[in-house]
Amino acid sequence: MAGMSDADVQGQIAHMIAFIEQEASEKVEEIECKAEEEFNLEKGRLVATARAKIIEHFDKKIKQVELQKKIQHSNLLNASRLQVLKHKEKLVNNLFESISSDSARISQDDAQKYRKALTDLTLQALCRLLEPRVTVLVRQQDFQLMQSLIPGIQESYVGLTKGKYQVDISIDEQNFLSADLIGGIVMTAQNGKISINNTLDERLKHIGRQMQPQIRGMLFGPNPNRTFND
Amino acid sequence: MTAGMAQKTEGIQQLLIAEKKATERVVDARKRKAQRIKAAKREADSEIQAFKNEKDAQYKAYEAEVLGKKSDNEVQIQQVTNQKVKELEVMLKKNQSIAADAVKGMLFQIEIQLHENVKL
Repeated sequence: MAGMSDADVQGQIAHMIAFIEQEASEKVEEIECKAEEEFNLEKGRLVATARAKIIEHFDKKIKQVELQKKIQHSNLLNASRLQVLKHKEKLVNNLFESISSDSARISQDDAQKYRKALTDLTLQALCRLLEPRVTVLVRQQDFQLMQSLIPGIQESYVGLTKGKYQVDISIDEQNFLSADLIGGIVMTAQNGKISINNTLDERLKHIGRQMQPQIRGMLFGPNPNRTFND
Repeated sequence: MTAGMAQKTEGIQQLLIAEKKATERVVDARKRKAQRIKAAKREADSEIQAFKNEKDAQYKAYEAEVLGKKSDNEVQIQQVTNQKVKELEVMLKKNQSIAADAVKGMLFQIEIQLHENVKL
């Protein structure tokens, strides 16, 4: 190269080298800047997504716990109500047991009352059956009493039916009702084909079933939880 | 080779070296960039884990509180039940003889009715 000294050439080369280095520095800075930017973006995105998922997860769990709490509370209330109802039932049953033994004592001690009961129970059954021939089962201890009452009963029956009906009543001498019963009769007709259980025990059971709500009301007052009272 | 020529070669060498160095620097920067982005995931993970632990602890505390209230609730409801049962007993004592008399009355009050289809 004519006209350029060695120093000039060196200078130019040094200049070019500096330029190369400068370019490289700028490029590196650009890359580092980009790197930081992408780093923050990526990290931010990952964290935000994960946080949202975690929050949703725990919100769901909390809702579950709340629901369980409500269900459990409702179950406890129901169990409590049931407990009270069961106790009511027990008390009513106990009451009927004591009524039963009281009544048995009446049968035993109040002769007049029991005689009337036996008579009425027999007549009631006769009027339902309207059979010409019946058999009556009694407790062994009532046998003689029943025997003495039959003529009167037959007469009453004729009177009640205005003379249209009469009946032949026989007492079963082989079979007896349990001596533990409160009292009363079982009437059969047509060779045992028809049978009416008119014992005081059966009556008491029937009353218990029919009058359950009323008796509960008498004992415990009206039930505030009940919606229908027919 | 003249002295001039030797200088030229040297100059070109220097340039080539500088070029090479520059390229290496850029390549290196790119490598570091890739690593930085990988690091984003690692750092995110540890932040996320910390957040999860915090929420988990919060939840566990909440759960324990609810559990505590639950057994309190049970006890309270049982107390109310026991109270109601006691009241039943009191009412029974008060009303049982009236009810029993009513039932005994019904028991011995025997209504005699002719069958409805009977024509006399």
